[in-house]
Amino acid sequence: MISFWEVIGRSESGPLVDEEAFNWRISEVANQMVEKYDIVYDPEQVVPSDDDMADRLYQAGVDLFLELGVYCRDTGRLMTFTREEVDWALKHAPSSVIYGQGRDVRVMRNRGVEDPTPPFCNLTPVGTPVAEERFVPMVQSYAQEPLADTFSSAFSQTIHGRPIKADTPQEVEAAIWNVIKLREAARAAGRPQIGIHNLISNAEAADATLAAMQPSFGVQSNDGLCIAAIAELKVDYSRIKKVACLRQTGHHKYGLYGPLVGGYAGGVEATAVVHVAYHILGILILEAQWHCGFPLHIHHTCNTTRRLLWLCAATAQALSRNTHLLNTVNTFAAAGPCTEMVIYEVAANAVASTVSGANLDLVAVARNREPERATGMEGRVGAEAGHLTARQGLTRAEANEVVKRLLAEYEDQLPTAPKGKRFDECYDLETIQPMQEYLELYERCKERMTSFGLDYSLL
Amino acid sequence: MDGKEDLFERMAQAVIDGDREACVALAEEVIKRDVDPFEAIEQGFTRGMTTVGDKFATLEYYLPDVMRCAAAVDAGMGVLQPYILKQGERESAGTVVLGTIKGDLHDLGKNIVGTMLRAAGFEVHDLGCDTPLRTFIDKAGEVDADIIGVSAILTTTMAYMPDLLSLLDELGQRGRYRVMVGGAPVTPEYAAEIGADGYGETAADAVEMAKQLMQARRAEQ
Repeated sequence: MISFWEVIGRSESGPLVDEEAFNWRISEVANQMVEKYDIVYDPEQVVPSDDDMADRLYQAGVDLFLELGVYCRDTGRLMTFTREEVDWALKHAPSSVIYGQGRDVRVMRNRGVEDPTPPFCNLTPVGTPVAEERFVPMVQSYAQEPLADTFSSAFSQTIHGRPIKADTPQEVEAAIWNVIKLREAARAAGRPQIGIHNLISNAEAADATLAAMQPSFGVQSNDGLCIAAIAELKVDYSRIKKVACLRQTGHHKYGLYGPLVGGYAGGVEATAVVHVAYHILGILILEAQWHCGFPLHIHHTCNTTRRLLWLCAATAQALSRNTHLLNTVNTFAAAGPCTEMVIYEVAANAVASTVSGANLDLVAVARNREPERATGMEGRVGAEAGHLTARQGLTRAEANEVVKRLLAEYEDQLPTAPKGKRFDECYDLETIQPMQEYLELYERCKERMTSFGLDYSLL
Repeated sequence: MDGKEDLFERMAQAVIDGDREACVALAEEVIKRDVDPFEAIEQGFTRGMTTVGDKFATLEYYLPDVMRCAAAVDAGMGVLQPYILKQGERESAGTVVLGTIKGDLHDLGKNIVGTMLRAAGFEVHDLGCDTPLRTFIDKAGEVDADIIGVSAILTTTMAYMPDLLSLLDELGQRGRYRVMVGGAPVTPEYAAEIGADGYGETAADAVEMAKQLMQARRAEQ
């Protein structure tokens, strides 16, 4: 067994390492692992069916973690672990987590590859910037989706008309406002006790975030926070402070990992190895109960390219076949709301991830950077595609064909993806229901996706 | 002995290969053959780095490849530098003070931009991450910068970008520097709205924008 404080002690006693040298080592070791374990990306097998390769990828990720360790930015030291410590942490990691209360209780469970159990669906605009007055309507559009098991936040561009700035008193106010408004949106959606998997998007600093975690603001005892690692395989004390707090309050915490294909690790296979390693960082350092991966293409800022879909599928299979960890994939789409492209992108990732054993975080769209461009409809698209993949009992080979048909609809448009429409152009702000235009567009796309192999009559 | 063009071609290829030793050897050959070092840099190293940038854009090359190629250029430039000084001051591509803004610890995107700017001949002063606004301005004054480049990956730190511009105004220094912004949440619309002089979505865009800003700056002078 290794205690949390022993782990933290290693950030104070591990070997001193130059950060630049650590960055270089990532690529070097990841590529050694790719070669040693013969990890090969096949563009025709976007959803691979090779169990042996999934297991090799898992071993490669563990070996990389053991060899490389984790860099602590505050101390400039390397935190390293033994195989026994990793095995112990994996053995004792949670295999289920309960969110919500009363009739809104939902259980996230570990899923297997080709598991017929529908994925747990966290619906979220992933911190998309939105005007203060449209914050509640936007997040309500996610909370009210029938397949939403939990929901979380957009980013309000102002609070009481003033912009939110990091490390200011206003950031504390913004975090508190954020929590209050999320619960208000849950009530407006008629799901007052739905779980909130990430309570705060309006603030990053630990003091602001933790200040808002109060029951009087509407926080339930099993709501939670995400705690992000830094790319690649780095942590800092600001984030670990949140761990120290939440392990005492009992709120859920999950690890957030966004390795970049084309970044320090290098290509898609090497980045897949690093992505597996992140999950071990998560259980050992962040005490993460579950894991949210959003691997991204370094230029396109999405994970719906062919390579990224492979990465999402391959790593989910590696983790699902070899651990009982609760791993989820956070879809990042290039296109924005009310476009055919976003529907096909989101469905492609949901199918690939679900059949590979992941649960789903749905969904960042318009590259997660265009203000006002995110709606609950994209969450619906992903959740429905994920549920159908499981309910139909799709095999990986079948899912691969579906995903390739979906890719054919948008792949060539990725560099110039349309940013789509604003929330207020997609939803009626009185009723918080999608406009007819978006509903009709989705119906047309569903007809097409039915011909690709998704049976929407099962919903 | 082959012609000058062939030498430049080999220099470009050495950069593309990330071959540090070859870059050093070719730089020495430039000196030995009494080739104009400025021309050699432009036609050899810089041209090679442009190809590296193109390859990175299509992910034929990854970040470590770009870093390796940039390091090879640095090594070759180390050989040429004394001769450049001897021949008189070369007009620099420009001086950039670069950093991730206060409260933000993300630096990967900023580092890529810094690498690409250096490779394009800019003198880059990297302030790292979590940089207070005043530090950008003080450093820019200290090194007589042409451009201040500001990166943010968080929406809460992006909110400091307009403050940097107004602080420059308040100090009467707004006209002294061109200010470029970038980072995940920053859009061209936002850059225009806050009155930034330039914006780059990718590192290659940022380099192109820096070149344009320098052209405009020189035209004004």
